[in-house]
Order: sequence, then C-alpha cells, then structure tokens
Amino acid sequence: MAQIVLQDVDKIYAGGVKAVDALSLEIRDGEFMVLVGPSGCGKSTALRMIAGLEDISGGTVSIGERVVNDLAPKDRDIAMVFQNYALYPHMTVEDNLAFGLKLRGTPKPEIKKRVADAAKMLGLEPYLKRKPAALSGGQRQRVAMGRAIVREPQAFLMDEPLSNLDAKLRVSMRASLNQLHERLGVTTVYVTHDQVEAMTLGDRVCVLRDGKLQQVDTPQRLFDAPVNLFVAGFIGSPSMNFVTAKLERDGVSFAGFKLPVPADVFETKPGLSGYAGKEIILGIRPSDFEDAAHAKPDWALIDVTSTVTEELGSEINVIFAIDAPPVEHKDTLALAKDATEGEEEETAIPLLDNKALWTARVNARSRVRPGQSLELAIDTHSMHFFDPESGLAIGHPDTPRV
Amino acid sequence: MTSHTDLIPAAASGSNASHGARRGKRRDKPNPLLGLSHVALAFWALLVVVPLIWTFLDAFKGAGEITGGNPWALPHSWHFDAFTRAWSKAHIGQYLLNTAFVVAVSTFFTMLLGSMAAYVLARFQFVGNRFIYLLFVSGMTFPVFLALVPLFGVVKQLGMLNSYVGLVLVYVAYSLPFTVFFMAAFFKTLPTTVAEAAMIDGCGHTRTFFRIMLPMAKPGLISIAIFNVIGQWNQYLLPLVLLAGKPDKWMITQGVANISVSAGADSDWPALFAALSIAIIPVIIVYIIFQRQIQSGLTAGAVK
Repeated sequence: MAQIVLQDVDKIYAGGVKAVDALSLEIRDGEFMVLVGPSGCGKSTALRMIAGLEDISGGTVSIGERVVNDLAPKDRDIAMVFQNYALYPHMTVEDNLAFGLKLRGTPKPEIKKRVADAAKMLGLEPYLKRKPAALSGGQRQRVAMGRAIVREPQAFLMDEPLSNLDAKLRVSMRASLNQLHERLGVTTVYVTHDQVEAMTLGDRVCVLRDGKLQQVDTPQRLFDAPVNLFVAGFIGSPSMNFVTAKLERDGVSFAGFKLPVPADVFETKPGLSGYAGKEIILGIRPSDFEDAAHAKPDWALIDVTSTVTEELGSEINVIFAIDAPPVEHKDTLALAKDATEGEEEETAIPLLDNKALWTARVNARSRVRPGQSLELAIDTHSMHFFDPESGLAIGHPDTPRV
Repeated sequence: MTSHTDLIPAAASGSNASHGARRGKRRDKPNPLLGLSHVALAFWALLVVVPLIWTFLDAFKGAGEITGGNPWALPHSWHFDAFTRAWSKAHIGQYLLNTAFVVAVSTFFTMLLGSMAAYVLARFQFVGNRFIYLLFVSGMTFPVFLALVPLFGVVKQLGMLNSYVGLVLVYVAYSLPFTVFFMAAFFKTLPTTVAEAAMIDGCGHTRTFFRIMLPMAKPGLISIAIFNVIGQWNQYLLPLVLLAGKPDKWMITQGVANISVSAGADSDWPALFAALSIAIIPVIIVYIIFQRQIQSGLTAGAVK
C-alpha cells in the first residue's frame, strides 16, 4: 500500500488538446479516492497516467515514495480494473486470475492460495474452470476485480468498473466494492461519471472539469460546501437550483420573493457581507425545501405553483417555475451541455417565457398535485451564494477572499 | 420491446387459428432473392465439386478410358496401379514430402513475421507507420511474372539457387503483403484494453503479443494460414525457376507437370490424375482440420 501523489500533472495530446491541466492531487495511503466529472473532463486520462498507459506531458506522478513517470506499467506495482473488464478470452477464470502472478514468478503454492482466496472472496469458486465467454456480465466484472486483488498491489486503479452492469447489479456491486475496500484497505483510485457512485464509494471525491481540479473533499463536504457553481450543480441529484438574486443586509430577493439571511450565515461566510446591495447567484438544494405543512416552523416560506410532480414513493420532487430567467453562467451552461451529452442544440424542454425551472424535494405525505399552488418552506441556513462573475462560492474557505 | 412481447401471447391465446394461419402465410411467400442466391450457390458448388470428383475417378480408370469415347463414365473396373506408378516411378511421394516441408517452414515464417509486422503497424503510432504499411500492401499489386528474371538473378547471386532456403525466403516474401494487410485489419478489431491489462499484469510488449494478442487473433491467423498453405502448395512458377537444376528437390507441382510433359502424347493419364489426387488431398485435409477453428470467435467474453 502506498500514497499516490500527482504534482502539476499535464497531459497534452498531439494536436494541442490539453486533457489534464496542472493537476495536483494527494491520495493518502489506504484512501478510496474517486475522480468524477462529466465526460471529457480528463478523469480517465489522469487514471491512465497513474497506470502508465499514457505518457505524462508534464509534472510528476509518484506511487509510494517513487516517481514513476518513466516506469513501465508492469513496474509500478498497481492493478487496474477496466470498464469493459478486458479479460483474457483464451484463458480460464483461474488462469486469468493467476496470469499476473505467474509473470512475476510467484511460487506455485502461493499462486494457488491467493487465487483460491480471491475466488472465495468474490464467489467465483464454481466458475474457475470456465472461460470468460461462459460468464455473465457481473461474473466477468468479478473476475476483473479478482485479477486485481490476487496481485496484492500498492494501489487499485478502477476505470468506471460498474458502468456496464445493469442498475440493480451496479448497486449490489457498489456495496461489495465498499466491503472489499474496508477489508483490504488498499489505496484505490476510482473513476466514474456517476455522482451517486462517487458519493457512496469515496472517502474523498475529486471533481474535475476540462482537465482542471475543481474541488477535492469528503462527499458530505462537497455537498454542503461546493467551491463553485460547477461543483454545486454537478454534485447532488436533482441538482441545485440557481437564480440571480440581490443580496441585502436583511435578506436576499429574487423573482418576487424575499428570503431572510440568518445572521450566522454572514458569520460563517466571511466576505458575504461585502456583497450587500450587489447581485449574487443564489443556490438552493432541492432537499433544503419542504412542504410547509411538514417543515420546521422557523423555515422561510414561499408560495409557488407546481408544474410537474415526480412521486418517488419515499419523497416527491416538485418542479415549479419561478419568475426569473435561468442563470447563464459558463459553469451552469457546461453542466447543461453535459446533461444533454454534448449536443448543444437539444436542451431538454424549451423553457416557457424564459423562466427557470426549480425542483423541490418534499415529504411523500405532501398533498401537492401538478398545477396546484403549494407553500414551500426553505432552510435558509443552507443557502449557497456564488459570485456572479467568477462563479466561486462566496466565503468558502478554499476560495480566495474578495 | 417489453410491451411488445407482453402483448403477443395475450393476442395469440385468444385465437390460435389466426396465429397458425399467419405462420402458414409466411411459409407461402419465400424470399425470391434468397432462392436466387441458393441457386447461384448450388451452381458454384457444382463448378467446384465436379472437376474434383472427376479427377479422383479418373485416377482409378484404365489408360484408354480417359481419352476414349465416354470420359464422364464411372471406371469400368477400379485400378489402383496408377497411384503406385505416380508414387514410385514419378517420385510423387518424394515431392509430396519436399513440398510439405517447404510449405510448413515458409508458412510458419510467413505467419510469424506477418503477424508481428501487422501487430506493430496496427497498434503503434510512429513516423513512417503508414509508409511501411503501404509498402507492404503495394506488394500485393506486384505480379510474380514481372520479377521472375531479376529474382532468379538475385537468388543466384546469393548462392541460394536450387536450395530450400532460397525458395522459402521467396515464398515468405511473396506471402507477406496479403498476410500483413489481412492481419493488420484483424488486430485493429481486437480490444486495446486487453493488451493494456496484460501490460499492467506484468507483460512487456513481446509477451503481450505472444501470450495475449496472438491467441486472441487465432481465427484470423488460421484463415490466413489456410490461404497461405494453399497458395504456397500450389506454387509452380517459383520452384520451376528456383529449383530447376535439382530434380530430387522438386515440389509436387513440378512432379505432376513432369508426368504430363515428359511422355508427350503417350502421357500416363491415370498416373497424372493419381498424382493430382495425391496433391489435392493434403490441402483438403488441412482445410477441414482448421476451418472449424475459424468459426469460433475467440474474443467472446474478453470485453463487454
């Protein structure tokens, strides 16, 4: 086991595309680090540079205390799990597992023991004599995991290992992955574009965008204190609601509403009071809304008319329009582009009268129906404030003071 | 899709008769194109099979029967002596062994060098990659006849005339272009991540190639190996030029030709057909053994 340190790592492809831009990241010994971001953000490239499958254009990568920039993948003592499993089709499951050990000259009894242990851990014992073609997707995925485990490497690198599985299997594999990491305690770097995977698996999560590091923190901190509009919009589902608002000493006003800003919010966000009288971008998480009938009495209230309700059983997502245009910041636009998978033309629904659609997550006992008016309560302590120019969170400890 | 499959049984259970009728209707309307293609295939099969059978049958006929009144008839009585004559008098047995040896060696080297070159050209980016690939491919457009005279000169200068080393080298050289062209295309279809997994597991480039990529390319290798075996087995012009001086080293094609050429009008036709049969059978056996391997896709299960 070892820590992995990336120091100002660049990746510039032929043709000048900068896939990874001055990425510095310290992955601690035994940590489960998730790299997350929209497609094309450079997360896979970063992982492949750690693995040695891509040349490093600038900066250094070290595993343990060793700088590995010029080491071949086989000499880096890492194991990788690929999105498409990449099993050796002409070998049995047993040979697939043992291959890496045989190449390293591990004694035969030791190989046998390790393969047996891994097979037991992953429930692969009945399939050891089969070839990959005779396995289901989930089983192949477990063989790929096993191939990494038997090596007992310094670190596991995983490139979207669950994205080819169906939804149900993905959830159970996610739990197994968590258990495995608990048990083995091996440093793991895990790439995914699925923010639920990132939140549930990671000790810490690193959000990347256009090859640049946005924020590294624990999942809860990312959710509670995103460093900028991009992270705020990317983490959390449904994503955070944004609006351009005017901040005053006694509250924040937007779209005909005025919400009080508690005094302790000004205290915990140094610099926020400097924005009084100016425009800011306000962010409210859907989970910080509640049907007024079920909310705490001290929450601020607003009246809205629901457009659509999504009843999920345990809660209801209420989608409503507010009387303000959607926020057009480069960060929010980037998120919208990612949501439509890069096709700029196809934004989900043409917006009515250029009004922003917000989502509120309310208690399943709420009687809200589409088209009805609803009194919503807002937890004003959890509001997020962003600078309209830079998109940075105001008063966040990681952002420079204005 | 799911709603579709749910609906059909519900509709069918109500009216079994209409279901049967619908199926009957489908059988009444055969696809005319499918029928045509089957006629064409049957015709083609006849074109290939009839001469083969005729060759085998003629090997068992008496001398007069082949050139006599009814060449298409079955043998009056079955003679086996033509095979004996071909084997011992015309030395077909010796030539068969010679050819098997030369073709085995040259096919081995063709496959080894061809697949190695193809792998590098298909998988690695480097300056000149395209040029080298095109150089190989242009070799396919080069007619053997044009090169015969200079080729003879070169081989002679190298002191390899009338030697198997010379012949094998020339065979390999002529077989490489198509082998590289075919295998490069094949390697491009194989998943790159499997090679990357091998690199991480501890393989260098050489081991990745021989332990992982080559086994994965088995269907392609076998197809092109059959192609090369047939091509080199049937080669007549090159051994005629390169082995002319040493009749004991001849290839089987030269032996067969010799039977018909040497005796002129008094040719031993049954022995010629017997020799031809002996030449054909090994190729068919090679094909039968390996063609099963082609069909089994080997990348199945490697990736999602």
